[in-house]
Amino acid sequence: MAEQPQRLNPDLTRRRFLQGTAFAGVAAFLAACTGTGESGAPSGAASANIPTPPPAPSATASVAPTPKPSPTGPLHWAQWPAYIDLSGKAYDTGVYTPGSSPSLEEFKKKYKVDVSYEEKIEANEDFYATIQQQLVAGLPTGWDMITVTDWLAAKIISKGWAEKLDQGDLPNCTANLRDALKGQVWDPTNDYHYPWQSGMTGIGYNKASLKKVGKAEPKSLADLYALPPERVTFLNEKRDTFGLGLLKLGIDPDPTKVTADDLQKVHDDIKPLADAGLRFVGNEYLQDFASKKTWAAMTWSGDLASSGAEDDVWVAPTEGAMIWTDNLVIPKGATNKYTAELMMNFCYDPKIAAQIANYVYYVSPVKGAEVEIAKLDPEAAKNPLLFPPADVVAKQKNFQFLSDELEAKMNELYSDLSGT
Amino acid sequence: MTASAGAPSRGTPGGGWRRRLRRATPYLLLAPGILWLLIFFIVPSIQMFLTSVSSGSIDSGFKLTFSSKAYETAFTKFPRQLTNSLVYGGIATILTFLIGFPVAYTIAFRGGRYKNILLFLVIAPFFTSFLIRTISWKILLNDTGPLLGPLKDLHIVPDSFGLLFTPLAVVAGITYNFLPFMILPLYVALEKIDPRLIEAANDLYASHWGAFRRVTFPLALPGVFAGSILTFIPALGDWVNAELLGNTQTKMIGNVIQDRFISQGDYPVAAALSFILMAGILVTVSLYGRFLGTEQLTG
Repeated sequence: MAEQPQRLNPDLTRRRFLQGTAFAGVAAFLAACTGTGESGAPSGAASANIPTPPPAPSATASVAPTPKPSPTGPLHWAQWPAYIDLSGKAYDTGVYTPGSSPSLEEFKKKYKVDVSYEEKIEANEDFYATIQQQLVAGLPTGWDMITVTDWLAAKIISKGWAEKLDQGDLPNCTANLRDALKGQVWDPTNDYHYPWQSGMTGIGYNKASLKKVGKAEPKSLADLYALPPERVTFLNEKRDTFGLGLLKLGIDPDPTKVTADDLQKVHDDIKPLADAGLRFVGNEYLQDFASKKTWAAMTWSGDLASSGAEDDVWVAPTEGAMIWTDNLVIPKGATNKYTAELMMNFCYDPKIAAQIANYVYYVSPVKGAEVEIAKLDPEAAKNPLLFPPADVVAKQKNFQFLSDELEAKMNELYSDLSGT
Repeated sequence: MTASAGAPSRGTPGGGWRRRLRRATPYLLLAPGILWLLIFFIVPSIQMFLTSVSSGSIDSGFKLTFSSKAYETAFTKFPRQLTNSLVYGGIATILTFLIGFPVAYTIAFRGGRYKNILLFLVIAPFFTSFLIRTISWKILLNDTGPLLGPLKDLHIVPDSFGLLFTPLAVVAGITYNFLPFMILPLYVALEKIDPRLIEAANDLYASHWGAFRRVTFPLALPGVFAGSILTFIPALGDWVNAELLGNTQTKMIGNVIQDRFISQGDYPVAAALSFILMAGILVTVSLYGRFLGTEQLTG
């Protein structure tokens, strides 16, 4: 008898197969449908564009002090590059490797706990994207402590995604925080954050590269804009780029007064440069300076001094500089919260703060660091990066807290500039 | 065994379930694969489609509104990036073919006992991460790097000449990263060719080039098809090379999706772009397959 080619199943015709698939598809569609439409964590009311901290829980009675646990580890700390003192081979490369930071080694020895210090943050938004989903879902992010700039710290705290600090573990912090940094609207009582370093955004340039081609050193933003665009980079930190852009046009970058038109003017000012080869980078500018690809850039004040070459210079532009603070925040779900608090407290010891500031060349938030740093390096007291002179301080501008509409406009204009 | 219309077997005690099991075996074997496709492809695709017709933001949440605004934005706002993706991806695919075919041919026909070593050398770069290999191109194409440094010392190019952050660098990066994806399928197809066919062609008075053109190359077409789609499709969606080796004018559609998704949290537009990319690729690949002729592709 003639062999029929073996079929999968004679009852299963093509029609029934397609029907079955369609049915499965609709079921999946319905399942997915109910999954979407969930809103993110409700944000607190924001007045004057600055997010407010979550309401304090009522009646926090803690009469008997909780017994102190021994610190658990390793402490997972997400950090920016060039933000801690380094020694040995790391001193030359400027990149942290385990065991290369005197301050961290002292901490490890004192508390007998390991520290996993990871220079994972190159830009606030990109880092935020890596933890945002977990925070919304209430899952641990994997980090015990993160270092984020004002606007992101305020956002995280206002959404209730930061662990409340136990001030009893932080005597150094409460005693030594500089008055100028106290009382932030977004966390007035420092229940959720302590500053790590303050810094300025200005112009960084390499003296030798510019001299070789006979270009003048850029002391103002107008000079920076006039250099060959393919040798210049601006920052992908939009608040810094647009803030300095506003200063260059003579507009005061006050977030409560800046309009969408002002931002548009900044965009139109930068667009010809972007079309001609200007790039927008984060901390990658350190590598570009090292390879002499970039001659001048918008940079953060301490980076070139700590990790650049001998002839890399940072100046505050004549029009003014942006000021900001990076803050230590413990995200919700951190497994080693106590260890993180110990680290915060440890870094607010003036000796340790001076040790760190002496390397990173940022403005320390710790009272008494200036005394200690003079003992380490007498020249440091005169360093304008660590102790900006009065005329620079007068022209420092803060462009951190934008309204939602302004932020959306800034995002849109920046996308157009950066080509995406 | 004839396929009966489901009549229960007789005579074998308890044989009914064995028969049903045998009939169900193909489905059971397919089940893990189908389950995988369902969970990791079909459901996410549907989810992505629903996201693309939603509106809102990360902070305030996304609501399913069935608005087409994301698609409008996706279709109209990124002509340059779409063109870049097509052009750079296309050029890179052609370049990988031009470079890869001679390599695959040599290994298949002239490799002899070095075949395995040569194949290993082709795959060896994959042992390093994709990102590291792309970053190494930054060093290679550097202004004073191993390529331009000697050229500048000999004054063949001016001192201010730079290759980094140009379209050339991006295409070079994509070509380099996807070369093994072209070489290996070509090698497999060429390896299968029976050398006696070429001998027969020579016996019938074909020149070397004629034999290649009329025997070897048509037989290698399945490899060409596989290699080119394995190269072109990922190259279209690539963003690492444009990010590390390009500038603002060379951004590709992958960069836009990445920026919209991660930096801006604009999920609807990112999802819409992903869908358009997927649809475009499906159409292109089916047309390409039709053009090459499906009988030839399935051997």
